[in-house]
Amino acid sequence: MSSSSTETGIDVVMPQMGVSVSEGTIVEWRKQVGDWVAYEEPLVDISTDKIDTEVPSPAAGRLVEILVEVGTTVDVGTVLARLATDAKPGEPHASESDAVGGTVAPPATSDAAAATGDSPAPATPDPAPKPEVAAGSAGAADTRRYSPVVSRIAAEHGVDLAQVGGTGRGGRVRKQDVLAFLQDGAEEKPEPPMHIESPYRPDPPKPKAATVAPAISTGAYDPPAAEPLSRMRRSIGEHMKRSLDTAATCTSWIEVDMSGVERERRKAGLTALAFVARAAIDALREFPLLNAWLDGDQVTVHHEVNLGIAVSLGEDGLIVPVIHGAQDLSPEGLGKRVRDLARAARAKTLTPDDVQGGTFTITNPGQYGTLMATPVINQPQVAILDLEAVVKRPVVITDAAGDDAIAIRPMCVFGLSWDHRALDGVLAAQFLAAVRDRLEAL
Amino acid sequence: MATMTYLQAISDAMREEMRADERVFVMGEDVGVFGGAFKVTDGFFDEFGANRVMDTPLAESGIIGTACGAAYAGLRPICEMQFSDFIACGFDQLINVAAKMYYRQGLPTNITVRLPSGGGFSGGPYHSQNPEAWFMHSPGLKVVAPSTAEDAKGLLISAIRDHNPVVFLEHKHLYRRVKGDVPTGTYTTPFTARTAREGTDLTIVTYGAMVHTALEATEDLDGASVEVIDLRSLVPLDTEAILASVRKTSKVLIVDEANETCAAGAQVAAVIAEHAFEDLDGPVRRVATPDVPIPFSPPLEQALLPSIDRVKEAARELLEY
Repeated sequence: MSSSSTETGIDVVMPQMGVSVSEGTIVEWRKQVGDWVAYEEPLVDISTDKIDTEVPSPAAGRLVEILVEVGTTVDVGTVLARLATDAKPGEPHASESDAVGGTVAPPATSDAAAATGDSPAPATPDPAPKPEVAAGSAGAADTRRYSPVVSRIAAEHGVDLAQVGGTGRGGRVRKQDVLAFLQDGAEEKPEPPMHIESPYRPDPPKPKAATVAPAISTGAYDPPAAEPLSRMRRSIGEHMKRSLDTAATCTSWIEVDMSGVERERRKAGLTALAFVARAAIDALREFPLLNAWLDGDQVTVHHEVNLGIAVSLGEDGLIVPVIHGAQDLSPEGLGKRVRDLARAARAKTLTPDDVQGGTFTITNPGQYGTLMATPVINQPQVAILDLEAVVKRPVVITDAAGDDAIAIRPMCVFGLSWDHRALDGVLAAQFLAAVRDRLEAL
Repeated sequence: MATMTYLQAISDAMREEMRADERVFVMGEDVGVFGGAFKVTDGFFDEFGANRVMDTPLAESGIIGTACGAAYAGLRPICEMQFSDFIACGFDQLINVAAKMYYRQGLPTNITVRLPSGGGFSGGPYHSQNPEAWFMHSPGLKVVAPSTAEDAKGLLISAIRDHNPVVFLEHKHLYRRVKGDVPTGTYTTPFTARTAREGTDLTIVTYGAMVHTALEATEDLDGASVEVIDLRSLVPLDTEAILASVRKTSKVLIVDEANETCAAGAQVAAVIAEHAFEDLDGPVRRVATPDVPIPFSPPLEQALLPSIDRVKEAARELLEY
């Protein structure tokens, strides 16, 4: 635990969150000085590069001092705050007394009364939150009791029993209730489609027209107040602008017939991305200059592929978790890693190591039907592969006898943004052709 | 296969075993010329003769003690107690001799003690008891209690062949009320539990006459799917069968005709509490006879014994819990 003991309390320190992380920035303090903190209750949000994480309290106690303010970046191991662990949750303290204008008995009196067991009735309700309530989310605590089997099933499946309606006597949650909840939950809340899933839909459902009602004009337009960008958006913006300012970015496109990919991925129960990733890795082994970092005039050509996969976090932004040692994985293995990392990204459980060390990136935003893009290179890498929507199109094919025909084929445009400082267009074209040939040979 | 009553199946078991194995013989009060108080050994005297169908004095201690001696001499005696209640008179021989001989001397005591037990026919306090728990608490004895004709025959043959003293509880109320197909010849039934009816919503664990009460009470219980486990053997107790059913249904009702305290069902409840705690979705409920002697008065007796209505009520409460 990221803490060290003192005589009366515990120091909360900047935790080590991955082997390569040496510092972190305070994003937000969840507690104020004087607040009671339960053991493992989130105390402070910190940020390292793109990863945000919360630091749980190393002990129960009262937060007596905050040493590092929001926005400050400090080294791992720096003391962030101090907790008084000999404090009691119900005890008034200086800041609370101030806050309620002295209507609470001063601490000395309270202590004395408690010591003699002759406590006078407080003039106002105890202002200090009980730790159980503080630890829970907003709203009434769940006071129902659960049978052993219900508790076990809930624990095994991570079910919040407060959300489960009971059909037993007095609204008791029965085994069948929690089982039904599990089943319904699976039906009602399917996992959102992943940004990186194959966009190909044989019969795409017609998207509903936007149902946003037009605002009724009431005269002069009163624009809403500007708000600061989120930290993640600022971070993405800085990275992207720096890349465009740094690299000589060019983009090349190639069209790929995805018939074989679609057939194979259905057979294997995978997304198309798993096969595209495998083909890209093979092509990178053939053209290793694309699997490289360029830093100023220093180029590092990697012999292992650490494959970054862009994962959309919706309006929050975008994150690129990295599959380390991707060259060793089969399409099945790649598919599983992609899924795991995307889930971790959405659950905000990625570690800093999960997003570092990428040597090449694939982005796959085609699910909405866009055909082409000019992706921005993820510095210091030298190329990024973009695959857009798979769309059925009439294409000219040539059969074995050399006769041409028009066929309907699922087609996809692959775009490669590459850094002209590191390589030339011919290499990008060769790479794209290698990827295409591998995929069309499936 | 022949259709037999529970009583006929017991007679058939003894007759077939006596025909097959000349070491097997019966002894008891009025079992010979009279054919037994319940006519279980009717006709045995004529077929097997006085040497293998022995009338004894009214002395249960003497019957069991003599049987032990015969077993040590290599025979396989079957003792009939006229009523299970009377075994109290033979307790010392059964508990301190038969049950412990193997532990003390290494001698197997291959005896079977038949106990016509149970109430429901206004027999009063001396002719209606279910004393199985007395024997469950005495290591060295096996205790079995069939509920069907087929099991009565198979379990009795298993008991006769078992090298341990076996207490065989045959329920008087079932003697002529329960009928069923019974295989001819000899066969053995293992001392394990039987699933009398499969179900998914609730498990009823019971044995003996209460198996029929439980089946009838839950045959159509608001559409609920109720599993009924017939223990058949109380020692050894088939804990795996009990726990498997509890893991499936998560709710348990235990029905004993015996007086409630320390009855066989109490042991079942203890096993479930210890080994299936995390599978329970409700309290382990019991329906048993209250801790009072069985009255002569028919309405009072019927009020005490677990009835179909009481089992239904308890089952409903658990299902709704």
